Amino acid sequence: MRQNNRPALAVLLACFGLLAGCTHVGEADIRHSVTLVVKSTETEFWRSVFAGAEAAAAEYNMDLTVTGPETEEDYEAQNRMVAQAVANGTEALVFSAIDYENNAAAIDAAAEAGVQVVAIDSNVDSQAVRSYIGTDNYAAGQMAVQAALRCGWQDLRVGIVNFDVNSANGQEREDGVRDAFAAADGSTVDSARVVAAINTLAESAGAEADTAAMLRDHPEINVLLAFNEPTSVGAANAVAELGLADSVWLVGFDSNVATIDALQTGVVDALIVQNPYAMGYLGVESAYKLLSGQGKTLESTVDTATSIVDRDNMFTMDSQKVLFAFE
Amino acid sequence: MKKLPAPRITTVLVGMVVGVVAVILGCSILIFIDRYHTAIVQNAGTSSAQAVSQVTGTVTNYLRDMDEAMDLVVASMEQSEQHRDQLFQAFLRIRPDVVAITSYTKDGTLQDCWALDHTPKENIVCNLSFDSSKTDLDGYVTVPHVETIFDSYYPWVVTMAVRLQNSTADWVALDLSFSSISSYISNVGIGQHGYCFIMDDTGNIIYHPQQQLIYSGLKSEETTRLAGMADGTYVEDTVIYCLNSVENSDWRVVGVSYLDELVNRNVAEMVRLCLLLALTVLIVALFASCVLFWLFGRPLRGLAAAMEDFEKDADHFTYRPVGGAREVQELSDSFQHMVVRIQRLMTQVREEEVNLRKTELKALQAQINPHFLYNTLDSIAWMCERGRNADAVQMVHALARLFRISISKGHELIPIAKEIEHAQSYLQIQKYRYKNQFTYAFWVDPACNDYLCNKITLQPIIENAINHGLDLLVEEGHIDVEVFPDGEDIVFRVTDNGVGMSPEQAASILQRGPSDRTGIGIKNVNDRLKIYFGEKYGLQIHSELDVGTCVEIRMPKVREGGYETK
Repeated sequence: MRQNNRPALAVLLACFGLLAGCTHVGEADIRHSVTLVVKSTETEFWRSVFAGAEAAAAEYNMDLTVTGPETEEDYEAQNRMVAQAVANGTEALVFSAIDYENNAAAIDAAAEAGVQVVAIDSNVDSQAVRSYIGTDNYAAGQMAVQAALRCGWQDLRVGIVNFDVNSANGQEREDGVRDAFAAADGSTVDSARVVAAINTLAESAGAEADTAAMLRDHPEINVLLAFNEPTSVGAANAVAELGLADSVWLVGFDSNVATIDALQTGVVDALIVQNPYAMGYLGVESAYKLLSGQGKTLESTVDTATSIVDRDNMFTMDSQKVLFAFE
Repeated sequence: MKKLPAPRITTVLVGMVVGVVAVILGCSILIFIDRYHTAIVQNAGTSSAQAVSQVTGTVTNYLRDMDEAMDLVVASMEQSEQHRDQLFQAFLRIRPDVVAITSYTKDGTLQDCWALDHTPKENIVCNLSFDSSKTDLDGYVTVPHVETIFDSYYPWVVTMAVRLQNSTADWVALDLSFSSISSYISNVGIGQHGYCFIMDDTGNIIYHPQQQLIYSGLKSEETTRLAGMADGTYVEDTVIYCLNSVENSDWRVVGVSYLDELVNRNVAEMVRLCLLLALTVLIVALFASCVLFWLFGRPLRGLAAAMEDFEKDADHFTYRPVGGAREVQELSDSFQHMVVRIQRLMTQVREEEVNLRKTELKALQAQINPHFLYNTLDSIAWMCERGRNADAVQMVHALARLFRISISKGHELIPIAKEIEHAQSYLQIQKYRYKNQFTYAFWVDPACNDYLCNKITLQPIIENAINHGLDLLVEEGHIDVEVFPDGEDIVFRVTDNGVGMSPEQAASILQRGPSDRTGIGIKNVNDRLKIYFGEKYGLQIHSELDVGTCVEIRMPKVREGGYETK
């Protein structure tokens, strides 16, 4: 009797195991939580990121919390937000670092607590980052130079309006710009020199004042590059204010109604437009993949598309799509 | 190669039940999935078509509504300027989805613009609300574009334009935001992830619930291919497309629903159900196997073991009946009857054999060797003639004792004292007959006297000793008869100093039939002992040529009445 029952018992147990396995099919029903910590909640760029993140959160049925500091320089506030999000029990973080180095410890601590981390827009110096989704900033810098070279002048005196010096993406863009100008110097154009570079607050009024000061100190500047949305708005305002719209070739970053208006009036000559909606969407989607065990499919770096928009192509269908958010 | 043992009946039954159930379940799952898939596809197609036709209806209504609004605008264009402005201001207020009303000259120059809170800028770089490629038509609807005539205000719109006949302007256009259309479309769901979108007949997306995803390059629709397909429902691998044209328009509503999620979820449910069913059946089968084992397997195995035991040792086998099903019980009962019958037959055969032998032996015992009798009677006669009356009387007495004890009222077992007396009588007669050629002596332990022994046990041995040992001896022979107990046995020993025998002769004596003299040979004595008391009892011959012979008889201590009970 005993001999007869042992394999039967094994079969029975196997069946129960199978059945138990079946009841776990509803993995997708679990609602994951994800927190998006960004640099600022004010600009159109970030609003677009939020829209993308919300679209992904809705599609993947996730609880999304969005936070960001008041200024784009306050990495400490960001660190506090990360810690708070971890304390609130978030399962994943989608993070855009103000400070490449000073945000690292907070991210490591979050990862230590078992939180999955995805970086968007601006990376952080941490091994915990499973995927970086954003612009190839060095290439974007080179694109900005490409747009600047359309001015048609031969002797370029370049001024750079960058934002926080510790922010990874700003520095990478500046590296791209400087390398591209160095390459162009004496080959594509007769001369191209970066004569001034400032790091200003990522806020349009401050950027405007700093840019105006730079333009007054360096009247020889005929090409001006601004590296994000608020600095572009500030630079555009400064150029308009100083009446330099025709003599200064201004290349800005990102899409803002002010710079789009300025692009039509000729104050701004080109915009390097990133894809913030995709960053937000892909960031949250990657977080979902990490949480639902599909982390292996993630790439360590995802390059969201970047395009050059100038007055000639700004109303083509493709440019409309990247410049203007569909709400 | 070793042959596999035949499987047990319960294993076979459970295997069969589980196998059959598995096959049936498998088949039914396959059939079900097939049917279900078809049904789901039909269902999904139908619900998709329904959703799309609803959306088409609302979009048609919306467009008709806008056509009516356009008629109103066209009529207003013929009014006086002041009246017209008032009308348009009121119109814009009740239709918040109208971003702007614009009028154009023939070449597309903006003439007038009515919009709430916005005025067109002076230098319009590009006006996307006027499509100069369609001026040969009487009216058109553009693809989505950004409103480009205002400062710092760039909403996405579609433009409806018509040619004017009786007005200062050649064209009037309405720029419509997507707020109304999106409210019709965005909330339409088909299945879990299905949705509807609107495209025009060349494949430009007019409105999509995830328009920004598409604009950001994160999602795409195969609109070019869809534009080439006629209205209807198309089931593809995992997607069901449902297309429906909007009346009086080049817009088409497309419903997209995903088949795998619908089917997979339900199939998974079904498979789970089937597994549950299979599990239940398996449990029932196991239970059934237990029952079968109790009813058949175990009793049959018991029966088989019993048969094996019976085969090994039929004599001492006692059968315990097994339980189980009625068939098994009947089998068990039959076996029990058979066992009893066989054992009875075996006993019967053995008894018959023993009886046969006993009868045979008795017949032999009953025989009186006539030569012995004649010779003895001659001797007696001779003694009488010579006047040796006393000797004759002794002889006659000895003879009489010999016969009396030989017969012993037919008993086989007699007291050892009687047997000794018998042997003494015999020796007495033979001593006369052989004229005192030998002497003899009896050494009987008195403790043995009361035990029983087979009658005529010693006489054949003594006869053999005289005939073969002493007859040929030149000097005087001597015979010793000893009787003594040895543990639980009694030993009779007859020793002579005759010529002796070779081992071959000794062996042949034990095989030979009765001697012609007395009718009972040594072999018979030996056989009788073995029949009565068993193999370990009997007769042994130790003999040496020219030294003598010693015959030892061993039998158990048997008391009066003891043998019968044994």
